Amino acid sequence: MPGFKDKSGQSSFLLSAMKNLLRYIITRVLLTIPMIFILLTLVFVILRIMPGDPVSAMLGAHAPQEVIDKKKEELGLNKPIIIQYINYMNKLLHFDLGESMIFKQKVIVPIKQKLPATIELTLFGMFFTLLFGIFLGAYAASKRRTGRDFAVRIYANVVYCIPVYWMGLMLQLILGIWLGWFPIAGRVNARILVSTFERTGFYTIDTLLAGNLYAFGDVMLHLFLPSLTLGIVLSGIFVRLTRANMLDVLKSEYILSARARGIPERKIVYRHALKNAFIPILTMLGLQFALLLAGAILTEMTFSWPGIGRLLMERIYLRDYPTIQGVIVVFALFVSLVSLIVDIFYAMIDPRVKY
Amino acid sequence: MTQKSKNIEASGYSASGRMGRVFEWLINANKKYGVEWWILIFGAVIILFISYMALFPGTLAPYNPLDQNTGPQLMAPGPGHPFGTDNLSRDILSRMIYGSRTILGVAFTAAILSSLIGIPLGLISGFIGGVFDRIFSLIMDSIYSFPGLILAIAFAAMLGPGVVNITLAVAVVYIPTYFRLVRGQTLSIKEELYVEAARAIGAKRSVILRKYIFPNVIATVVVVFSLNIADAIMTEAALSYIGLGLPAGIPDWGMDLAMGKKYLPSGIWWMITFPGLMIMTLALGFTMLGEGLSEILNPRLLER
Amino acid sequence: MKYFFTVLMALFLVTGFVFATGAKEEVKTLVYGTTEKVTDMDPASAYDFHTWEIFQNIYQGLLSYPPGKTNIVPGLAESYSANAKGDQFTFKLRKGVKFTDGTPFNAQAVKWTIDRVIALKGDPSWLVTDFVKSVDVIDDYTVRFNLKGPIAYFPALAATVPYFPENPNVYPKDKIVRNPSELKGGALVGLGPYKVVSFKRDEEVVLEANPDYYGEKPKIKRIVIRYFADATTMRLALEKGEIDLAYKTLNPSDIADLSKNSNFITYKLSGPYIRYVCFETSESVFKDKRLRQAFGALINRPEIMKKVFLNQNEPLYSMVPKGMIYHTDDFKNTLGDGNIALAEKLLKEAGYSKANPLTFDLWYTPSHYGDTEVDMAEVLKAQLEKSSMIKVTLKSAEWATYKQQWKAKQMAVYLLGWYPDYIDPDNYTAAFAGTSGSKGMGINFSDPAWDALFTKEQTNTDPAVRKAVFEKIQKMWTDEVPTVPIFQGNLYVFTRKDVRGVKIGPTLIFNYNALYFEK
Repeated sequence: MPGFKDKSGQSSFLLSAMKNLLRYIITRVLLTIPMIFILLTLVFVILRIMPGDPVSAMLGAHAPQEVIDKKKEELGLNKPIIIQYINYMNKLLHFDLGESMIFKQKVIVPIKQKLPATIELTLFGMFFTLLFGIFLGAYAASKRRTGRDFAVRIYANVVYCIPVYWMGLMLQLILGIWLGWFPIAGRVNARILVSTFERTGFYTIDTLLAGNLYAFGDVMLHLFLPSLTLGIVLSGIFVRLTRANMLDVLKSEYILSARARGIPERKIVYRHALKNAFIPILTMLGLQFALLLAGAILTEMTFSWPGIGRLLMERIYLRDYPTIQGVIVVFALFVSLVSLIVDIFYAMIDPRVKY
Repeated sequence: MTQKSKNIEASGYSASGRMGRVFEWLINANKKYGVEWWILIFGAVIILFISYMALFPGTLAPYNPLDQNTGPQLMAPGPGHPFGTDNLSRDILSRMIYGSRTILGVAFTAAILSSLIGIPLGLISGFIGGVFDRIFSLIMDSIYSFPGLILAIAFAAMLGPGVVNITLAVAVVYIPTYFRLVRGQTLSIKEELYVEAARAIGAKRSVILRKYIFPNVIATVVVVFSLNIADAIMTEAALSYIGLGLPAGIPDWGMDLAMGKKYLPSGIWWMITFPGLMIMTLALGFTMLGEGLSEILNPRLLER
Repeated sequence: MKYFFTVLMALFLVTGFVFATGAKEEVKTLVYGTTEKVTDMDPASAYDFHTWEIFQNIYQGLLSYPPGKTNIVPGLAESYSANAKGDQFTFKLRKGVKFTDGTPFNAQAVKWTIDRVIALKGDPSWLVTDFVKSVDVIDDYTVRFNLKGPIAYFPALAATVPYFPENPNVYPKDKIVRNPSELKGGALVGLGPYKVVSFKRDEEVVLEANPDYYGEKPKIKRIVIRYFADATTMRLALEKGEIDLAYKTLNPSDIADLSKNSNFITYKLSGPYIRYVCFETSESVFKDKRLRQAFGALINRPEIMKKVFLNQNEPLYSMVPKGMIYHTDDFKNTLGDGNIALAEKLLKEAGYSKANPLTFDLWYTPSHYGDTEVDMAEVLKAQLEKSSMIKVTLKSAEWATYKQQWKAKQMAVYLLGWYPDYIDPDNYTAAFAGTSGSKGMGINFSDPAWDALFTKEQTNTDPAVRKAVFEKIQKMWTDEVPTVPIFQGNLYVFTRKDVRGVKIGPTLIFNYNALYFEK
């Protein structure tokens, strides 16, 4: 962190830097709010002009018209759209996502239940993305302009064009069905009772907290294929990014001098150069987060993963407006939050960012 | 006759002078641009081939893609059915060939639609500036920052299945891509000397936009257009895969893939392998074309 | 850094394999897999087969069905009698039955339950409100239902879930319960053989034997119901031994594969659910009954069964399913299967020809009836277009939209399916061709002569009269064709070798207490 390098005195400098940073963070947060607001408005409009009547869908074919009308009144669906919109936004300001139309339950309940599954999948997917992306990228850079470099670059391009769900299906077919090494669906073996360990909803943590190593192993096995799928498909971008950054770093004087001092090339590439290429990679990870979420939805559909992506799709079929909106609010918050964190992180590291 | 043209003659290209020149140009371009050139050519060949499939499917497909009596159900690839048959005994090869029409049509139309809306908006917004620009940028940035697929899902669900609807759903998502690109370019070109000069001599704003700014912006749009089609292909396929795309009766790769999914535990590999390969190949074609173009037209655009 | 990642990756795999292979068997539990969902854990609100199935195991009705049978026997009522007119039913209740918390089961509890169902107006409440005027407590163990009119099949209604007596001290009077945790005491315990000890929506329900059950104690003390997001996952879980029993709903290809696997026992149930084509008969082009007949003649049921369902379902030639009383095969003898000659004759009469083909949209809904629906639509289109006088475009809409569209008369022809509310031919006929029922299904068929027949059949308790009426109605169906039956669904249950006692009858009631493990 260049801005904080000088630890000896100069506290006033530090203070003003902190102040600037704080101001930056506040402006950045304030900018995030209208963005979320615009998205929500857009989604609200889309959903309300969507054909299909959730009330008659939920009531069944036998419901007489007056019951339907009464239900609509109860749900506020008979009011003009603008009033519905104001009501919704008002509730949202009070952190209330409303109540599901199809199931008589708060929207937040299923979201809370399914969000951990999505986050767990996304985090492990990220792990594989970084694993493949950084190593192949660094490797290609160290062997630049050779056949191996070219092969890695082709990998990056091809992988970027693989539909994530197809990747998932092929891995399921080969590693799951033909070889039988990994389970291909769900989060845990059906014989293990979820209620015996569940606390946070992150099964990897929960099983460890419950001290059930057998369940932990099973959870890890179930996580493997979906996160690998997500990881491989997104690794293409990181391969290219790491390679480009590594090429820059490898040309720098710092590395040249290391080379001159006779440090082994492997050590230079993987220890010194990679460390320096790391910051832009992390930034990129933040920028690609939206892509990761979209990929997670498709992966959830392929692997029967009970996350909020599946929840979204199920509720779209049922026209459960409040839940659909709720899930999209969560997605929007997520994306904004991550980009916010990345921006702040970047601002802290790179003092050239305008506060 | 120089040595070079002799070589060309030997390889059978001299008969028509034009072909020879094309070939020569290809070789020269290779020398000038290196690997990127071959990436571009490779992408173009894929696109040309699949476009041919889409335009003249009848010349390639052995069967009608909807014909349910081409052979046994779920036949593995073999004689008569190089890609096998599906659960209703339709020929998968024929479905792949006809399916190219849907996906190419949707992706291409969607990309054109979004550029037709995004480019003018970006031009005007960047050129006028002020509050108008701020509001538009904010809206476009919000949409852009959100996962495109989720937005497309919402739109597709709203509009219901159908070729036109899915095209619209895909198009909406990519408007901000063009908007942001064009607005950014416009902002920087606006400050260029020759634009200042035009303004100084009293050229009308519409003329400046049309004559000075638009032509300079459009070069970068070409590259993004190609990459954007690749993205649109992936989005269309994803929508079809999750069942929000098209009604039955229209061959479509994404839908065939979804269909094959339920036969996975029975080990019916051909129903999922081929549609996925097709989607990937087509997307790869446009990505490679775009990458090649970007290196050649504007080496600094996609440095990373 | 490189090693760091490599080590992490290795850890990932090693932990997975090492721990997961150390499997151990604990209490003998039966794991039951399904792709269904639990709606509301409240008999006053739940209106789907799976939730009803759970209630049928944790509650008891006044009347019930023996496992696997369709004859009604006494349950919590020892006997019942109807008055001469048939609009009052009196039940004598079983004595000495107590709810788990000690609350006695008596006539007041029955009345309390029915009043609650009426007051809450939940989805299935019409099964009560359409028929029952009031409930009178005669004495502690005698209760009388006053009906709105004579209803011949009231005992069948009284065996349905909304009539199941609840514990007045546990259920809130004015609120629908979604989760057992909302109940006083926090557990779902009724008068049935099992109780719910843990409930996690979309994940699992854990049932344990109810120690206070008055009847024979179940042999399997603990049953876990696991919820699967799709059929494929469930099939794989069964194959890997993660579940002992899989029921509802596997894909045809999965059923075909599993039936061949000798590790499992296959049960084929002729279910009461039927699939059919509906026509909008009042305004659309199909108001001409000749076109409906032509449609019916072109459909080739055995081919659909073979191609789409791998012969796992039965072709159906009447709206009343086979195996039910009064069923006839009229469609087979009149319109037939794939009868192009007849269809073209009818189409010609209606003014269509090769040059002027009948064009229409055939609607289906892609997820509500499972993955096979798309295939069925495709095959139907191909069959209809075998006649060059027809051009079909397939259209699809999700369930919520679909439902709205049929009510708004926006679909001329559409595919639907039916699970009966109560086991009686009336529920398969009046619901489609009676004026009010037909309107609700979007068919809008209305004929006073038909309505008169339905009233006759509904109010008459004499089997001979009802038989005559239903045979007549089924005959008339092939002429007016308000709907075209396609097939009758079979249900498949797969269990591991050691599970026995699966008895599911046409009522689809699945009594878990009949299950046991073969040693």
